[in-house]
Amino acid sequence: MAPLGNRKPNGFFNMRTANYCRRFATLPALALALAFSLASHAVTAADTAAATPATTATPAAAATPAAAAAPPAATAEASTRALDEQIQDLKQSVVDLNRDLFVLEEELLFPANTQVAVFISMDVGAFFGLDSVTLKIDNREVSNYLYTPREVAALLKGGVQRLYVGNLKAGQHELVALFSGKGPSERDYRRGAAIKFEKGVGAKYLELKISDRVRRQQPEFEIKDWE
Amino acid sequence: MMSNGRKELPVIRTFGRTCVLAVLAAVLGSSALRAATVIGDLAPDFALPAVAGGNVRLSEHRGEVVLLTFWSSRCSVCAAQLDALGGLQTTYRSAGLVTLAVSVDDDLDRALRYANAHPTRFPLLLDRRKDVSRAYRIDRLPTMVLIDRRGRVRFLVPDYRRSDNSYVAQVRELLDDPL
Repeated sequence: MAPLGNRKPNGFFNMRTANYCRRFATLPALALALAFSLASHAVTAADTAAATPATTATPAAAATPAAAAAPPAATAEASTRALDEQIQDLKQSVVDLNRDLFVLEEELLFPANTQVAVFISMDVGAFFGLDSVTLKIDNREVSNYLYTPREVAALLKGGVQRLYVGNLKAGQHELVALFSGKGPSERDYRRGAAIKFEKGVGAKYLELKISDRVRRQQPEFEIKDWE
Repeated sequence: MMSNGRKELPVIRTFGRTCVLAVLAAVLGSSALRAATVIGDLAPDFALPAVAGGNVRLSEHRGEVVLLTFWSSRCSVCAAQLDALGGLQTTYRSAGLVTLAVSVDDDLDRALRYANAHPTRFPLLLDRRKDVSRAYRIDRLPTMVLIDRRGRVRFLVPDYRRSDNSYVAQVRELLDDPL
């Protein structure tokens, strides 16, 4: 049972970090490329504008102004489309980078061998209006979450919320969840549920499930251990 | 020569001490100022229970202008301010103004009695642990915090005077600012 601080680095950090550093380095380059592209488009547009009076000065060109104006308009449209595509690509790469960084942050802060995540879901909810959930792990409060009506509605629609994510060393642990809200007949209702679980080398996922027990006309709270 | 040098030494020492004190005062003053202001920062999110029931979360009002005020049942000016804010909320609700009043009372029963005696048109929230007032570094009452549609703190109004309606102009400025 080694303490959390004594984990050996597995080489993952260096390799992944180097990759992200490289990707970070490409972002300014993309921005520079975009800026350069914008500038070159501006110069092209200025050149076209400057050249147009000269062409219209000749009598032959003046005879067909529409024909002379058509090719620059088409070029401008094409270049605008290309610029738009570049911007969209840049946006997409920023979104991808953000997602990768989020994943990396999660992996660094909560490595799989110590990770414990607690989820909450609600089924029906006719006998219980959720107000708050307090989580205790090994008698230490780790989360106290207040639910707004919108969040309760989202849970009732089938949403699953990750209530807590943290690190635990391997071994036996106890999770206690205290649910408070409005019970049957709009009365204040407070109920607890507890589970003892074994934390192994892999990540541990637990689900707090609130459902209705129709026969008893009461809500039911259970904690499910995802193997 | 020697006697002149000895006389000058205390003067130099005094000057040195004064300089050190001045630097210390400047450093402490600037850190105090930094601690008291959060303008331009992303408003710290919170969820608090409302007196009327249910919970309110600040981040659910992103896209709206939020007027956050901190009050206490022991604050004499707060009642007048809450009245005035009720009028403001009625006027600008349709434009996207949300007013939230956070109580910093130690005595919860007293806060509830006060809230029941002074019904308002916006949620009165109870900050029992004082987490929210600590996050916003509130050091006097009543204090208003104006949060723009992007969720950033834009104005702090650390006092309330009936005659001073400058905060209304600030609210209007934020309402005029599109997302």
